[in-house]
Amino acid sequence: MSKNEISEQDRRRKKALIVFQVLLYSYLLGLFLFQLHLYSLSDW
Amino acid sequence: MASTTFGVYDAHQDNSKQAQWRADKWMIAGTLLMGTGVLGIFGLPLFFYGLHLQIQAGKAGLSVRPLIVTLIGYLVIIDSSLNSLGWAMDLFANHSLINRVLTAGWGAVFDGGYFWHYNELTVGPYAVGGAGAPGEKGWEISLILGCFCPRLAAAIGLLQMKRWGQQWLIVTCWMGVIVWIGYNLNMTFYADVRYANITFPVWGWWIYDIFYITPFLSLPYLHTVNREIFTD
Repeated sequence: MSKNEISEQDRRRKKALIVFQVLLYSYLLGLFLFQLHLYSLSDW
Repeated sequence: MASTTFGVYDAHQDNSKQAQWRADKWMIAGTLLMGTGVLGIFGLPLFFYGLHLQIQAGKAGLSVRPLIVTLIGYLVIIDSSLNSLGWAMDLFANHSLINRVLTAGWGAVFDGGYFWHYNELTVGPYAVGGAGAPGEKGWEISLILGCFCPRLAAAIGLLQMKRWGQQWLIVTCWMGVIVWIGYNLNMTFYADVRYANITFPVWGWWIYDIFYITPFLSLPYLHTVNREIFTD
């Protein structure tokens, strides 16, 4: 396996991990917004 | 001739090691203080001074640790220490003055799970005390033992440029995914307990905790860094 192939694999790996993080932080943002929604419904 | 060449190399190695250790002493002192939480403000300038020393040594041509490894390693140590110490106090020192002031005080502002009915938790006839929010004690015990202490050790290994340090940091970063998916979901299900009648409901907790919700950010770097820079 040449050096270029390894770096190409790493490039794709990095991209996939960044996409994964976007999904994860979207989930967390969703939870935050849902909690704000609960806040708006309650008398906290 | 050969001995002269090796002599120069050895001297460079020695100087690099000394410069790294000199910088590390300041950063370790700063991190220890920041890891306590209460003394954090005093630790920050010490840490920055050590960081400055390391950057200067790098500019002078010495072989010091990559800056990104230094930042990730020390940040993880601070994160793990704050969580382990804070939760250990809630578990074992929940009637101490410092805990009742700081943890319950923090709870009154950000998280009612650490304020309302604080120190009233019992298991059958046994007094447990500390936070009584549903699920909280399970998270505390499992994450101190299973995540934050191994993560602290991994960060020390990473700073020593050990392969096991890099590998275990990757393992505990992935644990962070479970931690934050589960912990926040638990908080959402018990939002009535966590956010009722506190100073800054919902947004206060998120602003305070966003710093902690970062373990996965270093995954792209850790998975693609040249593994050869770490030693077995």
